[in-house]
Amino acid sequence: MVQYGGDEVSALVIDIGASTLRAGYAGDDAPKAIIPTTYGFIPQSTGADVTMADAGPEGETEPPKAESTLYIGQHGPSVWRADMQIGNPVVDGMINDFKPIPSLITHALRDVMRCNPEEHPVLLTEPAWNSVANRERMAEIMFEEFNVPAFYIANTGVLNAFAAGKGSALVIDIGNSTASVTPVVDGFVLRKGLVYSALPQLVQAHAKHTLVMPSHNHPQIQLLPHQLISNKTPVEPGQAPRFTIREDRLARTSPSLMTYYESREVDEWGQSVAGVLDQGWNDQAAAARHARHYEFPTGFNTLFGPERYQVGELFFTHSRELAASNPHLPRTIPTLISQALAACDPDMRQVLMGNVVLSGGGSLFAGLAERLNNELSRNFPHVKIHAPGNPVERRYGGWLGGSILASLGTFHQLWISKEEWNEHGKAIVGQRCK
Amino acid sequence: MSSGVAVNPECLDTFQELKLGKKLKYIIYAVSNDNTEIVVVKTSESASYDEFLADLPAADCRWAVYDFQFEKDGGGKRNKICFYSWAPDDAKIKAKMLFASSSDALRRALVGIAAEFQGSEHSEVSYESVLDKVSRGN
Repeated sequence: MVQYGGDEVSALVIDIGASTLRAGYAGDDAPKAIIPTTYGFIPQSTGADVTMADAGPEGETEPPKAESTLYIGQHGPSVWRADMQIGNPVVDGMINDFKPIPSLITHALRDVMRCNPEEHPVLLTEPAWNSVANRERMAEIMFEEFNVPAFYIANTGVLNAFAAGKGSALVIDIGNSTASVTPVVDGFVLRKGLVYSALPQLVQAHAKHTLVMPSHNHPQIQLLPHQLISNKTPVEPGQAPRFTIREDRLARTSPSLMTYYESREVDEWGQSVAGVLDQGWNDQAAAARHARHYEFPTGFNTLFGPERYQVGELFFTHSRELAASNPHLPRTIPTLISQALAACDPDMRQVLMGNVVLSGGGSLFAGLAERLNNELSRNFPHVKIHAPGNPVERRYGGWLGGSILASLGTFHQLWISKEEWNEHGKAIVGQRCK
Repeated sequence: MSSGVAVNPECLDTFQELKLGKKLKYIIYAVSNDNTEIVVVKTSESASYDEFLADLPAADCRWAVYDFQFEKDGGGKRNKICFYSWAPDDAKIKAKMLFASSSDALRRALVGIAAEFQGSEHSEVSYESVLDKVSRGN
């Protein structure tokens, strides 16, 4: 039953993550548009609800009113604007607030890619734990607001497994806000074995704590972004920075924007400096590694030694003090893996461990793949981790899988066409996209 | 989620020949050059397992059906038909994606498979590891 057969039209692939929204043409090997999922907005109303919004940290800010302009893309949240607040529609990898979604997609497709979504079939990705209501809402947005001729929604877990050439695999996806372990068996997600936690957020919070708390080798570090600094002069490592702050801007920087800027600084630091030891935590091993130099936008610069490995260690173990102080810590990667395996058939466990697929931008954390390999080899006889060496493949694995799938001539019979949507409505999404 | 790639009827005919004729030892399948269907690439009557492994290329994906024969501990020969999915790490990502998303169509078409193997390097589909798995059952 071929309902949609637009052979010459290349499809679009959209992958919405917690940190970025990736969009591009099917068949390409990297997305054309990569824009932050985070957006800025300036609350229009006065008085009461602004102060309310100020009270909450990022993610809890009041959603923007319909009439307020959204600042999206490269010139969105990273450009300083007076009283601008920050919002992000993705919570735990799932879209939580659909209001800004059409604006984000429009920006990626029309403004960045300069293409007309009415002319292209669209393949969207979803996390394995996406809800039925959510995917139907997505289909509705694509068909009704963007008038796409055809649509398909595919699971990132399965896409990642398939992109590694595996029908059965244990997909470990570490993103910016969520780490998940998805057992895929013969091309289907084993729902009961699917587990995820907010582990990357804990790692980030710990990194931030490491930086802002004074320690024996560095004073308290101010995580000011370059947007709030008017000038600075170079200083020797470890010396107090000499810079001038833009007081006029600081006064009108909303708390949510400040949190966003700070987390960006922490991310940058983590990506350049932090790592994880390949053989488990060991004070001597950590001290034996070279210290790394890093300079913050304020001009403060210093060498980071063992503390840069403590940050990565949180992916694998929680210290006793930390576990005692908070019983609801996000589960570590080894815990997630053993929970996922416990839910699987014993025969299946060995197959899954022989086919571990590592993906997501967070998995590029220095040393993480080696450490994971070492941890798993200790507990299982035959472990093989498939981790693409190419960072683009790792970071955008789900997008890339979707890109290849949607570019196949034979895939056309699987698209949900606009006609089918009009005839069957929401029910067709669940029937077709398994 | 599948690629929509079809299975050429010849794949089934050859499989029946292996299953019922008892002459063919193995069949190698692959996606056709125009990426539209799964076709038979090679059939062989050779009993050498090494020859079979040599037919699994280092940088391309293949499916295979192998009529695995072994001696049971208590004596007596057994035959088990095994299904292999071969996707080496060095294969191109497009080939791997196409391969994995088409697997289900072929696998469902073949009736009478006793064991399945998924491999990306020869050690995972070695004679010993296959023997170990097939002889564990009845």
